Amino acid sequence: MSAPVEVVLSADSAGQLFNCAVFDPHSGSEFLSYRGGNTSSRSLTVLNGEYILGAQLGKNFINVWEIQRKDQLQQKIVCPGIVTCLCASPDGLYVLAGIAEAIYLWEMSTGNLLAILSRHYQDVSCIRFTDDSSHFVSGGKDNLALIWNLSSVVQLDSSRTPEPCHILSRHSLPITDIHCGLMGPQARVATASLDQTVKVWEVSSGEMLLSVLFDVAIMSVTFDPCEYFLFCGGSDGNIFQVSLCSTSLSRDKTFQTDSDGNQVFKGHRNLVTCLSVSMDGTVLLSGSNDETVRMWDVQSKQCIWSINHKGPVTNAVIIPAPANMFLADSHPAVPLPRFSRHLNPSEQGDGTGSGGMCLRLRANTQEPEGTYLEKADELYSLMCAVTDKVSREVHCCCCESVVTALRQSVMLHL
Amino acid sequence: MKAKKQKRQGDFQKIQLKVGKKKPKAENATNVNFKSKAIHLPEQLKHADSGPTTHRQLDIKDLLSKLHHINSNIKQGALVGLRVLLSAQPTLIELHASAVLSEVAALFTDKDGSVRAAAVRLLRFIAQCISAERVAPFFPLLSAHLTCAMTHISEAIQEDALRVLDVLLEHYPGLLSQRHTVLLTNFLELISQKRKAGTGQDKSGKGGFALTISTNRSVTAQQWRLTVLLRLGSFLQAVVEERPLEEGVTSMIGLGMWAGEKGSVTSVDVSWEEHVFGKGRIQVFENSGAVPTSHSTYRLRPDSKAVAGMNKELCSAETVQGFAGTLVPLMLEIWVEAAGGDRVQTDSGHLLSAEAMALMFQILTILQLLRRLTPQRDQQDILDAWFRNSYLTDFKHHFMKNFPYGLLEVARHRKKADGKRIRQQQVAAGTVAGGNVEPLALNVTLCQVMVTLSLRGQDHVEAEDADWLGPIRGFIRETLSSGGKLSSKHLAALLEVVWRMIVTQRSRVVTDDLLQAVYVQYQQRNLAVSVRTLLLHFFSQLYIQEHQNHPHIARSRILARWLASLPVQLVQLGSRNPQLSAQLLETIHPAAARGNKDLLQSLQKNACNIYDPQEGSVVVLPVDSQKRLVQILHFLPTFPAELLACLSQVCNTGRVSASLATMLVRTIHLRSPLSGWSSSSQDVPVKDVDYLSFCFTTLTGFSSEMLQALQDTDEDGLMPSSTLSPLSVFTTTLEQFLHHWDVVEEVCHCLDSLGSRAQCFDVIQNAIIKNLCGLVVVPDCVCAAILRCVPRLLDVNFLPSDTLLHFLSDCCLSMLSLLLQLEQSARKRDAVWEACFAALSTVPRLLRLVLQSLHVGDLCEEELPVLAQILSLLLQHTQLRNHMMANASLLQHIIQDLTHFYGGETREQWLTDLLYCYSVTLSGHRANMGMRDIY
Repeated sequence: MSAPVEVVLSADSAGQLFNCAVFDPHSGSEFLSYRGGNTSSRSLTVLNGEYILGAQLGKNFINVWEIQRKDQLQQKIVCPGIVTCLCASPDGLYVLAGIAEAIYLWEMSTGNLLAILSRHYQDVSCIRFTDDSSHFVSGGKDNLALIWNLSSVVQLDSSRTPEPCHILSRHSLPITDIHCGLMGPQARVATASLDQTVKVWEVSSGEMLLSVLFDVAIMSVTFDPCEYFLFCGGSDGNIFQVSLCSTSLSRDKTFQTDSDGNQVFKGHRNLVTCLSVSMDGTVLLSGSNDETVRMWDVQSKQCIWSINHKGPVTNAVIIPAPANMFLADSHPAVPLPRFSRHLNPSEQGDGTGSGGMCLRLRANTQEPEGTYLEKADELYSLMCAVTDKVSREVHCCCCESVVTALRQSVMLHL
Repeated sequence: MKAKKQKRQGDFQKIQLKVGKKKPKAENATNVNFKSKAIHLPEQLKHADSGPTTHRQLDIKDLLSKLHHINSNIKQGALVGLRVLLSAQPTLIELHASAVLSEVAALFTDKDGSVRAAAVRLLRFIAQCISAERVAPFFPLLSAHLTCAMTHISEAIQEDALRVLDVLLEHYPGLLSQRHTVLLTNFLELISQKRKAGTGQDKSGKGGFALTISTNRSVTAQQWRLTVLLRLGSFLQAVVEERPLEEGVTSMIGLGMWAGEKGSVTSVDVSWEEHVFGKGRIQVFENSGAVPTSHSTYRLRPDSKAVAGMNKELCSAETVQGFAGTLVPLMLEIWVEAAGGDRVQTDSGHLLSAEAMALMFQILTILQLLRRLTPQRDQQDILDAWFRNSYLTDFKHHFMKNFPYGLLEVARHRKKADGKRIRQQQVAAGTVAGGNVEPLALNVTLCQVMVTLSLRGQDHVEAEDADWLGPIRGFIRETLSSGGKLSSKHLAALLEVVWRMIVTQRSRVVTDDLLQAVYVQYQQRNLAVSVRTLLLHFFSQLYIQEHQNHPHIARSRILARWLASLPVQLVQLGSRNPQLSAQLLETIHPAAARGNKDLLQSLQKNACNIYDPQEGSVVVLPVDSQKRLVQILHFLPTFPAELLACLSQVCNTGRVSASLATMLVRTIHLRSPLSGWSSSSQDVPVKDVDYLSFCFTTLTGFSSEMLQALQDTDEDGLMPSSTLSPLSVFTTTLEQFLHHWDVVEEVCHCLDSLGSRAQCFDVIQNAIIKNLCGLVVVPDCVCAAILRCVPRLLDVNFLPSDTLLHFLSDCCLSMLSLLLQLEQSARKRDAVWEACFAALSTVPRLLRLVLQSLHVGDLCEEELPVLAQILSLLLQHTQLRNHMMANASLLQHIIQDLTHFYGGETREQWLTDLLYCYSVTLSGHRANMGMRDIY
């Protein structure tokens, strides 16, 4: 049997049989399971295709498994508080954890704690990265969702506290789930909230594009990869499908009409806590508090299979199958470092010059040119401010020359 | 020959003229014996054929042609005639707008004053009639003539040009503000002249203009300058207000859905029902693909180039600086002169005459407007810094030295009756409108101007600013806390100053000091609504916007006290002012969401009052506020039993809508640890016991006291108990029933989703047995609720107790007999039937009990048809058929009794129906035998 392309990863809060398990998306048969503890909601994540990280429910540590050694708990990362949500960046370089009101950012290569962002007023309920790891969105029980630029969070000198690039404050009750679409910084973000709405936002400008009002609170939300449909899991167990691309304008539409019930997936009896769509957009995975995980066919809205868990499902996600998962003798390329528990200011860059040194962005995922340019501009403005007394013409010339020199160095660097 | 001679004589007879005689008239003399008169044509004989005319029968062409007449009287007459004609025939204006406007504009520079006055009057009339879009094509001409008049060598024409400007400003501010490049220099030239190149150099920094004084004006130089500054002020106001929207935004229009509005993307709002039924089609266009919005943070370069390109537009800091660089020194000079003139009369510098005060006010207003010319925030900061660097010392020296100012009491000794006369004098003297400025307004404006000069959070400048910020702080504190009532306009300005000072000074002392003063103002009673709203808005914005960035604001005691007072105010306000309540809620909601301790404590303390089912805010306020109040429940730290009792009643009294009540139930459900949503389990907002009793109370809809009271009443709605209806049913109104039905649905759903069903059912069963089973009179909605709830919660392998089942069978039978009497509402019938049906089909024993309790022998004759109808109803239903089959012998027995006791000879319709149903049900299953037995 060839290795599957995608697998289903799910966890429940009871943890009787396993902490989390891997299933076949087609048949629902179990491939692997990882034991030890249980995982809290929205805190199961796969790091770099080599580790599985899951925050222990109600405790202040994160369980780590190497993805091929299913029975052995690799390590426990002890955190300063109870972890409410956890997310690893898609490029595998950073890990974000929501601990009470604060967001902790760790760097995977060294295990350093790079930043503690405390802009939320209440517990953080969900954190998601954009697919290019350049931004992340955090939602909290204080009704706010914040969009952060990762590089601005990482690069800042310690004198300034990092600011989110956008504050989405139009929900009126706690945010329950967030989903980031594709396209990196130009993506659209969907936020679900207890106030019975799902709102779609634009990452780049922070503008709200769409707001859909339901009659029940929405506990989970996801897009399909094309962003044709928005799937919203309600607190009454129904999953609603909102079509974002109206087809009524097309001329050759057949006469079939969207009657009531055609856009609802019915089957769960309790809160739908997690939703995920496969890569090809044909099947939808849902996990619910009624202790089942169901796989649905998006087109016909029928349940394909369902798996019973022993407790409310906390995480269920369809992920591309990691390469190491089914190779028992493989090893992670990078050993997991010790995670530091305290912010170490000496590790942080304290000036613009050494800020470049502590940058560890991977060459292709980020745009070093842009960041260097930004820095050059920043330097320019700094010098403008300092040398205000010097006659304008002179220092302009001087700054320009500095900037050009910097640019040249950037080019060389590349 | 002779004859010839005679003939000649005859031809040329000589007339002898004699002395003393009258000279005979020559034959060829012209008879001048006639009178001549000049022909006046004030009116034309033409009628109707060439359009409307004035009362002098002049049509518009004649009038226009007369405007070129050399005589100024005729010109003036024509202007008056035009006004009369156009006001009589407004349609003509549109037709001849171009001709009329160009001719009238030409007369702005007429050398005769009365003609100019008439022209201005006509212009004002026309301006009232034509909209700005229609004038736009002719506006270059108008403004050219205006410029011409403003720069005219004759001073009288200059003065009248300002009147024209007034008219245009009043009606076409947008069009006029586009001409600012020319007009601004014109303004400068009205009060000053360009220095010679040589003289300009030695007084460096004073700009290239010098004030002019002309002696032959009708007004004094100061009054003239005041008039000009007044116009300049209103012109700048127009420029600021009529600024076109940003380019990026306008380009977005045309995509239809994303039509930019104030620079923000219009979002699509749909509700699920609409979407499902195909009404709300969603089309989310790709928004950030090719063209990022103006708000996108992704720019390759900061677009400083674009700003430089728009240099002509008056919105970059540099252009404003250029203009201000000439204007501000001039204004300072004007002020120095005016103040100097005053000081001759009085030695106390802080008292000003009314005229000087007006002048200063105007200067300050212009300074403010100059700052507002730049829309972007960063540009504004540059401008502020520039002002600070260039003029701070001047301002400090000239303005702040004698701050705060008071009015010099010159005119006060006259009686009030003279007031009108004084004003008339002032008008006559040419002091233009705006002459009377309150000292308070002046001082406040001065504060505003000065405070913008204080820089944001730079420590080293704070010390040097202290000398002039100190008096301002003192003044604000005194004004606000003196207890006097302030108008909303002044208050708004003061609050702006307070805000700026709090944000720039970053000191806790200053913050508390100022906020205390504002709070004193806030605590006054009987404030006007607008003022109250303003203060409320100030505090809430301060909390919401600046809270995070400025720890000194967050720690402010006053703000905390204000937040804590909000719930109390909400309670006190009641239903008196819903708008104000809504505004209070707008602050309470985010503050509660952010977990502000002071607010939550106070909210917790007042929760029972706010959520009181009789007069609490949650029932008296409009729907939007109710919704917010329900949402705020989400953030309440704990729910004591009394509060839950209140909330349960709120759900059932019908003063909140059913959808809101379900929302409330859901909120409580989510807050209880049983729901399994909240992950942090250390705090328990709703205790399990309390939650279950809340559910049960909401389910029944009646408190135990109400049910007790119901047992003894003797109301109309009561149906007496009988054999067919063992319980005496209290019929509730349709509205109440349906409301309760919706709530019950939600409660059932909540109970359904609790973890262990068996335990949950056990609890509910005990509650029913304890509270309801002994009752004689039961409201119909309670019956329906119980019947609906029990089968939903019942687990397959759980045996309900007998007491419960007996009570249920009583309920069921009562409801079935009620069902037959219900005609008024299909919905209620459906609901009742649904409940009965669900109960009977899920609990087979219940059906048996119901059938067993039907003792036909005890029925009177009238009740027989009712019984038969009930039975046929049960028989007709397919899903119940199997259960009925199980009880076939019992059923057969009843039907036998029924036919037996019915003594009537004729077979009634109901009996036929029953027998038919019976036979159909049992067909193929002992049917024939059964039928035979019956007959």
